[in-house]
Amino acid sequence: MKKIPCVLGVLCGCVGLIAQTPTDSWPTYHGDYSGRRFSALKQITTANVKSLTLAWAYRLNLSRGNAIVGGEGPDVTPAGVPATPAIKSTPLLVNGVLYFSAPDHVWAIDPRTGREIWHYVWKTRGGDHIGNRGVGIYNNWLYFLTPDNYFVSLDLATGRERWHHEIASMKREYFSTNAPMVIGRHVIFGVGGDALDIPGYLESRDPENGEQVWRWNTTPRPGQPGADTWPDEYAMSSGGGMPWIPGTYDPDLNLYYLGTGNPNPVLTGQSREGDNLWTCSIVALNPDTGRMVWAYQVTPHDTHDWDAAQTPVLIDGTFDGRPRKLLAQASRNGYFIVLDRTNGDHILTTKMIESANWTQSINAKGQPIRNPGKDAIVPGTLVSPNTSGATNWPPPSFSPDTGLFYVGTSQTYSILYLTDTDKRPQGWAAAERNMGNAGSALMAIDYQTGKVRWSRPLAMTATGSTGGAMGLLSTAGGLVFGNDGGGNFVAYDALTGRPLWHAGLNVNTSNGPETYLLDGRQFVVVGAGDTLYAFALQ
Amino acid sequence: MRVPVVIPVAAALLVGTAAAMAAQAPRDAAAADAAAVQRGQQLLAAECGFCHGANARGGSSGPDLTRSALVQEDERGRQLGAFLRVGRPDRGMPKFDQLTNDQLADLATFLHDTIRAAVNRGAYKILDILVGDPKAGEAFFAGAGRCASCHSATADLKGIGSKYEPAVLQGRIVMPRGRANAASGPPRPPYTEATAVKATVTIGSESFTGAVVRLTDFDVVLFDQKTGRTRSWLRNGDAPKVVVNDPLQAHVDMLLKWTDEDMHNVTAYLAGLK
Repeated sequence: MKKIPCVLGVLCGCVGLIAQTPTDSWPTYHGDYSGRRFSALKQITTANVKSLTLAWAYRLNLSRGNAIVGGEGPDVTPAGVPATPAIKSTPLLVNGVLYFSAPDHVWAIDPRTGREIWHYVWKTRGGDHIGNRGVGIYNNWLYFLTPDNYFVSLDLATGRERWHHEIASMKREYFSTNAPMVIGRHVIFGVGGDALDIPGYLESRDPENGEQVWRWNTTPRPGQPGADTWPDEYAMSSGGGMPWIPGTYDPDLNLYYLGTGNPNPVLTGQSREGDNLWTCSIVALNPDTGRMVWAYQVTPHDTHDWDAAQTPVLIDGTFDGRPRKLLAQASRNGYFIVLDRTNGDHILTTKMIESANWTQSINAKGQPIRNPGKDAIVPGTLVSPNTSGATNWPPPSFSPDTGLFYVGTSQTYSILYLTDTDKRPQGWAAAERNMGNAGSALMAIDYQTGKVRWSRPLAMTATGSTGGAMGLLSTAGGLVFGNDGGGNFVAYDALTGRPLWHAGLNVNTSNGPETYLLDGRQFVVVGAGDTLYAFALQ
Repeated sequence: MRVPVVIPVAAALLVGTAAAMAAQAPRDAAAADAAAVQRGQQLLAAECGFCHGANARGGSSGPDLTRSALVQEDERGRQLGAFLRVGRPDRGMPKFDQLTNDQLADLATFLHDTIRAAVNRGAYKILDILVGDPKAGEAFFAGAGRCASCHSATADLKGIGSKYEPAVLQGRIVMPRGRANAASGPPRPPYTEATAVKATVTIGSESFTGAVVRLTDFDVVLFDQKTGRTRSWLRNGDAPKVVVNDPLQAHVDMLLKWTDEDMHNVTAYLAGLK
């Protein structure tokens, strides 16, 4: 069956999402399916960005007054749920309305004025409220996940709930942060959680009734491909690998690309000898069936919490003078990796941060092979980066105009102490003590060589370099929007990294910035803590 | 690491203690829980340990109970109890219908406590880390590590081994930023600490040196630790000129150079300076 390239065609008339990012809408987490977060808009340019000014600000309204209230939890929010969430979701702009989320909340707001249209509140049972990456939209329906693991659908026009389904067990320490990705008649999302040793999975659900269409387990079961990279059923069936960040999609190849999470137990491997497929991997799945077409493991046998969940960015480029369909990831383990996305063949691997000290070698497949001497031990091992990684979930950006991949990085260190010496350790099994940061930077990496073209150091405080992973947006106006680690929202020159404009928000931006054209005016929207800001030219 | 399996004599004592505690009205739920956890552990070791291991992580033939979905999703022994009364004979799991409701509750309390302990990684206990060679540590301190160019075992580090727990000491050898025991006093901003990164701002012939509150491409804020005054400047490109001076630069540079063996040896050496 021929795949319809974009289900959002009904809404935005967009096709061929790799080549053409819509400019009057932002219909998916990444703006399109490619994960480039590049906009063809060029009303705002390197020449006029100095005149960028605040259009509106929307501070999160958390009140249940006037909100539509749903959920399975008690009326009083359980203890331990943070009072004020940070905005980590990238708002979707569909049919002239912005839709975005934070844990237990969804808002629809007017993209011209920042005024609230409706607000939905989910009464939670609990769960880890670390963040929510956003909503997914199919025709007139909106989808989001809750920290207590419900898949909820709302009516786009009114915010009224259609239904909700439980997708994972909160008692087993699952929690859900993912932004659902809509491909054809599939609403695709993964679960999160690594406090206990539990299996990870990705699901497709039906957009009309929310029933499961398929489930893909991130670790094999006995007899399945990859099972020989685990010692036994015990290890593989509780081996983690949470796919907690939305993936990317190539409509022509009909492949969904996903980065999987780290194996469990998190910081020690004594009960899971082997490579531990398909954890810490980039996998290509057929979105109609959930079947894996190829996989590339970025970190074999991870022992440092460095999932490979970071956005696999799709690049239509050239390599060795030949046009290629590529996929690039700036990975949490400190390496930059480029693959052929048609088949998963390795193209290049480069070391992104100087401080990374955990590898013994790069093997023939370009995989960084760990030095077992840098696994957690009882008296402690000094490792860089720390468990938060060289970079993390905040979305990077790729500009086809400059050929540069933009990513926020840091060079942190930790001492990891093994605390659970049992032959069957549980959970994290080791304690971490942070030892500072040898330097955070915004980097621009040439995808053809993997070399850093420019690197801009981030802010300093009394404790040294600060900031690192950040949401980024590049535009045809020659700009990269991001932060500086010091509470400024910054427009950088995409070619040189020179800062050209900034807004002192006093809080670091906390989501991926986005841009769209409305009534002939280009807006740039970003979240910082509890406030969503929109900027436009004066 | 888990609490080791108790030997029978100690077990009897512990059960006795727990019973005594249970007989009194418990002062708080935590004390009651601690007693129930111990009773549950005894019970598990005696009744379930042969197959599931004395620490419940699996044994000769039974699975790891701490990873069991049934156990993880159990509510105060309700589902566990229902299961134990029937068992799963087809898979070699006999029924345990002789357990009283109190025993079931203790068993569930122990299992849930064990699972909580795995979840709560902030409370993981660092084990004995003093494995290094103090002599080699002393040699590294004076030689290749160049620690002695700033520090002395008889001056600033005198008695350092009595001052800090070994893991805290090791952490401070690597990166002694701020205070080790910050929780012991009122919170102080990091720029008030002696180890704060410093910077000098120069405008024309005037210059001002202070601890870095913040330094970005657009502004710089310095704190004068003597007067307690804060000054700020806007920046435009490289003006005004800012020169950063980190008093811990030698420690930052060492981050790339430490071997774990050197780190353990120096820790063992300094831990011995009582």
